[in-house]
Amino acid sequence: MLDRGVSVIVSSCNASLRPSIMRAVGSAITADGRSITVYMARSQSRQLLQDVAATGRIAVVFSEPSTHLTVQVKASQARIRDAQAADEAVLQRYLQSMEREIALVGYGPPLVRAMLAHELDDVVAISFEPEQAFDQTPGPKAGAALPPTRSGSGA
Amino acid sequence: MSRIALGAIRPCMEGAIPAVMATCAVDGTPNVAYISQVYYVDERHVALSFQFFNKTRQNILDNPHATVLVLHPVMAQFYRLHIRYLRTETAGPLFESMKAQLAGIASHTGMAGVFHLRGADVYEVQDIEPLEGKGLPAPPPRCDLLGAVRRCSERLTDATGLDGLLHVVLSTLSDTLDIRHAMVLMLDAGTQRLFTVASCGYAMSGVGSEIEMGDGVIGVAARERTPVRIMYMSNAYLYSRAIRSSMHVDAPELALQTDIPYPGLSEPHSQLAVPIVSAGRLLGVLFVESPSELRFGFEDEDALVAIAGHLGAAIDLVQAATESAEPVQAGAPPRISDGDSLQLRRYAINDSVFINDTYLIKGVAGAIFWKLIKDYMEAGRTEFSNRELRLDPSIRLPDVTDNLEARLLLLQRRLVEHSPHVRIEKTGRGRFRLLVSRPLQLTDISS
Repeated sequence: MLDRGVSVIVSSCNASLRPSIMRAVGSAITADGRSITVYMARSQSRQLLQDVAATGRIAVVFSEPSTHLTVQVKASQARIRDAQAADEAVLQRYLQSMEREIALVGYGPPLVRAMLAHELDDVVAISFEPEQAFDQTPGPKAGAALPPTRSGSGA
Repeated sequence: MSRIALGAIRPCMEGAIPAVMATCAVDGTPNVAYISQVYYVDERHVALSFQFFNKTRQNILDNPHATVLVLHPVMAQFYRLHIRYLRTETAGPLFESMKAQLAGIASHTGMAGVFHLRGADVYEVQDIEPLEGKGLPAPPPRCDLLGAVRRCSERLTDATGLDGLLHVVLSTLSDTLDIRHAMVLMLDAGTQRLFTVASCGYAMSGVGSEIEMGDGVIGVAARERTPVRIMYMSNAYLYSRAIRSSMHVDAPELALQTDIPYPGLSEPHSQLAVPIVSAGRLLGVLFVESPSELRFGFEDEDALVAIAGHLGAAIDLVQAATESAEPVQAGAPPRISDGDSLQLRRYAINDSVFINDTYLIKGVAGAIFWKLIKDYMEAGRTEFSNRELRLDPSIRLPDVTDNLEARLLLLQRRLVEHSPHVRIEKTGRGRFRLLVSRPLQLTDISS
C-alpha cells in the first residue's frame, strides 16, 4: 500500500511541543522497504519543515481512502533535501495513483489535482527510516504496534 | 493570528473529507491521525469525535495543543486549525448531535459497527491558518435561504391560527426551499411523546402518529433541544415501523389498534430535525428529510432553526389569543341528522375513540372529542370554546401551558381523514363548532 501511492499526512513537533502538520504531495519507498521519502510543498509546510530540521522527528500516516487501511510510521532522524528533476516522475506517478484512490470515494480528478498542486522548485523531499509502525485502521486493533519487518512492506 | 472567521470555513467541517490531526507527546514525539468529525460548535470552538483510546487521546490529555488540517470539499483549499483541548462531553446536545452525524458518516463509509462516539472533545480554536494553494473556484453563494426565511417570517406574522402557521412553514419549505418531505410534531407534555400535527410529501399524512422522546433524529432533537442533522442513510436512526406498531400499547388486554403509522420515508438519506422552542419550553420538532445524500447542509440547518424560532413564538402567541375567548352559550338545537347512524365507542382507560370500529384518536384529544360528543348528545350543543375545554376537569390537560390548539388541530385532521360525517370547524379565535351529519350511538367502555 505504501508503495502504490495513497493519502500521506506528515507531522512533526517543535521544542515547545506544538505539533505541525501537512499533506504530502507525493511519496516513495525504496525497493528494500527500509527508507521512505515524502514530498512536501515548502510554501504549505514551513513550520513542519522547520520542526523536522530542528528535531529530526517525524510521524507519517498512510491511508487508503476506500478501505480505511491506515498505517502510521515514526522516525527520529529525518533528512530534508530539495526536490530535483528526477523526482518529477515519482510525483506524477503519485498523482495518478491518488486520482484513482480518491475517485473510489466519489471525488473527481480536479479536486485531487488542486489538493496536490505544486511547483517542483517549491517541493522538498523528506527521507527517513521508520523506527516504529502502528496499525491505525479504525477498529479494535487501532494503535497496535506492527512488527518491524512489516513496517515498510505494505501492511 | 489570521482574520478568518471559523464560520467562513464551515464547509470544511461537514465531514465530507476526513480531517487529520497532529498531537505531540510530552517527550516530543509527534503523532498524526485521521479524525472522523471536526464539528463547528461556535465561532471560537470546535469539537472532535473521541472514538478510540489511542495515542491521540493520550497526547491531548498530557499536552492540550493540537493542529488539525482540513480541506474545503469544493475549493480544495487547506486550512490549519491551531487548537487547545478544553474538555470532553459525554452527554447532552453537542454529544447527541455529533453522535447522530457520526452514525451517518459511519454507515456511509462502511464503518457502522466500528465508529462509536465515546465523547465530544471540545477545543478552543486559537488560530485559523489558510494555506497557499491552487484552489478551485468557489461554489456560487446560496442566496435562496435568507429570502426564504424572510418570506416565511412575513407570512407567519399574518397567520391567525395554528393551522395557518403550520401551512406557512410547510409551504415555505416545499415552494421556496424545494424541501419535499417535512413534518411538524408537537410535544404531549403528559406522555412525553411527540405527535404529528402536519406533514407534506408523504403518501399518508401520518397526523396523530407518535414518536418517543429520544427516538431517532426527531426524538433526540426534542430531548436534547438541539438540531440533529444526518447527511447519509443510517440504520441506527431509522424509524422501524414493525417495532413501533407493537410498542407502547396503553392497554394490551384490550388489544386496541391505536397506532397511527409513522409517515416518513423508509430510506431517508438526509435528515434534519430542529426543536421548536418558545420561552424556554419545548413545543415540538420541525423535521425534514430527503431520499438524497448530503441534501441538508449547515446553511439549511441555520435557516430551519430561524424558521422554527419564528414558528415557536407564533404558536405561543396564537395560543394566548385563543385562551381569552369567552365560553359560548348553547346555540340553536342541532339540525336533525339522518342516514345510517355512526357507532362511537370510547375506552376510558386511554380515552381512545373508535368510529364504526375504526380507530380515530386517543389521549387528551380523545377526551376532548368525547366531551364534545356528549355535550352534543345530551344538551344539543354545537358551539364550543378553547377556554371551557381548558377548565373542564374531565379532559385533564397536562398543564396550563399545554398546547390545546395542537390537540384540536390533530382532532380536526383525524376527523377529516377518517370520519367525514363528524367535523370540527373554527368559528373564531378560540371558538369552534361541531358538525354532525349522521345520528350517533355512543358506547362508553369503562376500565
